[in-house]
Amino acid sequence: MTKAYSRFLTAFFCLFLGGLLAWHLFLPDRDRSETENRTLAQAPAFSWAALVNGSYTKGVEDYVADQFPLRDDWTVLKARAEQLMGKSEFNGVYLCGDTLISKVETPEAAQVEKNLTYIQKLAEKTDVPVSLGIIPSAAEIWKGKLPAGAESWDQTLLLNAAAGTGLPTVDFKGALEAHASEPIFYRTDHHWTTLGAFYGANALLEALDKAPLEQADFTPETVSDDFSGTLYSTSGIHWLTPDTMEFWVGEEGLSVTSWRTGAPEAATLYDRSYLQVKDKYSAFLGGNQPLCVVKNEAIPDGEKILVVRDSYSDALAPFLTQRFSEVHLLDLRYYRLPVAQYAAENGIDRIVVLYSAQNFVTDKNLVLLTQ
Amino acid sequence: MIFSSLTFLFVYLPLTLALYFLTPLRWRNLVLLVVSLFFYGWGEPVYITIMILSILIDYIHGLLVEKYRANDRKARWFVGQSVVFNLLLLGFFKYWDFLAANLSLIPGVSLPQFGIPLPIGISFFTFQTMSYTIDVYRQDAPVQRSMVKFGAFVTMFPQLIAGPIVQYKQVARELDHRVNTTEDFALGARRFTVGLAKKVLLANSIGALWEACLAAQSAGTLTMVSGWMGLLAFGFQIYFDFSGYSDMAIGLGQVFGFRFNENFNYPYLSTSVTEFWRRWHMSLTGWFREYLYIPLGGNRGGTVKTLRNIFIVWLCTGFWHGASWNFILWGMYFFLWLMVEKYLLRSVLAKTPAAVKHFYTLVVVFVGWGLFAMENLRVCGSYLAACFGGAPLWSAADGYLLRSYGVTFLVLAAASTTLGKRGWEKLPGKVRAVLTPVLMAAGLVVCTAYLVDGSYNPFLYFRF
Repeated sequence: MTKAYSRFLTAFFCLFLGGLLAWHLFLPDRDRSETENRTLAQAPAFSWAALVNGSYTKGVEDYVADQFPLRDDWTVLKARAEQLMGKSEFNGVYLCGDTLISKVETPEAAQVEKNLTYIQKLAEKTDVPVSLGIIPSAAEIWKGKLPAGAESWDQTLLLNAAAGTGLPTVDFKGALEAHASEPIFYRTDHHWTTLGAFYGANALLEALDKAPLEQADFTPETVSDDFSGTLYSTSGIHWLTPDTMEFWVGEEGLSVTSWRTGAPEAATLYDRSYLQVKDKYSAFLGGNQPLCVVKNEAIPDGEKILVVRDSYSDALAPFLTQRFSEVHLLDLRYYRLPVAQYAAENGIDRIVVLYSAQNFVTDKNLVLLTQ
Repeated sequence: MIFSSLTFLFVYLPLTLALYFLTPLRWRNLVLLVVSLFFYGWGEPVYITIMILSILIDYIHGLLVEKYRANDRKARWFVGQSVVFNLLLLGFFKYWDFLAANLSLIPGVSLPQFGIPLPIGISFFTFQTMSYTIDVYRQDAPVQRSMVKFGAFVTMFPQLIAGPIVQYKQVARELDHRVNTTEDFALGARRFTVGLAKKVLLANSIGALWEACLAAQSAGTLTMVSGWMGLLAFGFQIYFDFSGYSDMAIGLGQVFGFRFNENFNYPYLSTSVTEFWRRWHMSLTGWFREYLYIPLGGNRGGTVKTLRNIFIVWLCTGFWHGASWNFILWGMYFFLWLMVEKYLLRSVLAKTPAAVKHFYTLVVVFVGWGLFAMENLRVCGSYLAACFGGAPLWSAADGYLLRSYGVTFLVLAAASTTLGKRGWEKLPGKVRAVLTPVLMAAGLVVCTAYLVDGSYNPFLYFRF
């Protein structure tokens, strides 16, 4: 190796390491990552106590990683490299042609069993009829799209166990499978599309002996054709065509009350400001909140339904307003008071515990139903 | 801190290199000592005290051995003290809980377990410091009178936490008089990049397959094919992880002006188990030979004594890898195979075609990895039983795993041979000169992508 060439290699190596360090230092720190939908670690404050207990060095490592230059782009490069090596799973997400499908890990059997008993206990506690609806995810409905032999937990085990509780259940699986060839799930997000939610709504209405909705009665409005969802973020696969998002149900005649802060506030069925940011699915009802009530003035003396929800219900709720005078959406992660009492105080006629299979098997808040 | 982390690569390493090379030559050992202590204390700041204690005790013992050189009894006494101290240190932090748990199985005995986290690299640095006092006593190495230089030897961060085990005599001269050249820097940087790629791109990728097979075992869906794929995956993972780490250590050592001995020599090319152990983790086998086997008498006391000595060495080799029965079993497994080869198979192997011997060696070694990888002996037993016919041959999921990891396996197999090295050497010098920075850049960039992705942690409202 000649001296000049050694110098060149040495300089090159040092520039790569030192260059990224300098870039990191000069780049302003970001507060949050849109793609990852979370706040990013900031430079930790030094203290001897934090040093000794290890939290300082951990904080530095998180800071360096979170504020790394071009953070999102590196993950795309990694996904590309993995694809080149023949992989079809990317951080727990399968790439199936033009569609991303989240893998469902085998859950802890004990947690699943407990969650089902909590719902039975709720049914015993209240006089209001309780139904259970488990929405199978794309990994179940679109099983045929998964790479051959790729593993994902068999969600029918959960559906059978749910049927075994003796509670009335909703056949979402049958309803979605009947339309499996249609875009019922987003390709880059784990939620169902408005079309999927429409079929889901009819499955629920059928289970509750209500008249089904007619597709012809709605005029879908395309509100975004640039939706890249959670699976886009997790997988690092950023080269698929974004999803299209639609609103079907009109807002007229509906009044929405949100309890975001503990006090009632007027809200809207759709929060269109979310359509400008990455987290577009939150446009439905404005995303997570402890409690949300939607009233339909056109059905003054219809029934009132309480939905113990996860985010799948956000796309579903607009359809339910067409058959109920009040739709109460309650999120157990934020709403800590007894559900049975809430139902009694608000004159609820029906309770539906409505979860996606993937959330249901890992959820740790259903225990609150037993209060 | 570990080498394959963003903090090490893009904060610690550039700052350390800058500090080291901006410092005048005579202060560089001090810089090395300080940055190494910093490196060591990063994960567990409290354990710096163990490190400093260890430096002090072995430094003083080295001086004492030198001082009483004329009085052999006394010199031996101090060597003994140093060895006992190091073994106690290792014994307490690494083995106490294991011993206490097993001794407490005896009725009437109840010993407390402390569950103290293992100080990183303790298995390596205790062996290094032990070899120092022994070498001084044997006059294989000069005594080190500078505490800074001795401290720099003990803590030297390139090889501190995962070897290779550097004996004092190998670097004694470089501690006192070393030359830093840009050629060493360039070669070291290149070697470091190769090691980083082996660790981050190869070892980590195939490690995921081993995890999948282990999960299949506990779910009861393991097949013969996936069982063997898992053993292969683990064997490749540990080789590329460990040899990658050694490459990074050797490379960084060279950057700082030190020559460490090689630790691996294409072990998976071996055509006998005996040969495998001459090519695998050479700094450890060399250490045991020099400081255990030969002092025990080696092969000079007849067959029975030789057998006893080899047995002790392999018992220790197994146990050194971890405080658990499976590692002892793993050591015994290799003791048996080595003895079978030495006393029974020698003439048979001499007549066997190389390809068959190669296959036989790989089967023995990879089954050995099964013992190594699974601490729970019941799990280990049923896993290996599945590999040898106790499970269905094949399932659809295996096809998926093969498609996902087939290319990786091919790369790993090729990288385990001298194919790449020979191909590289056949290229014209000019092509190599152009390709070197291109490949280094590609390696560093892709490794960075994998490391950033590893820290990527989208919060899924997923959960809702």
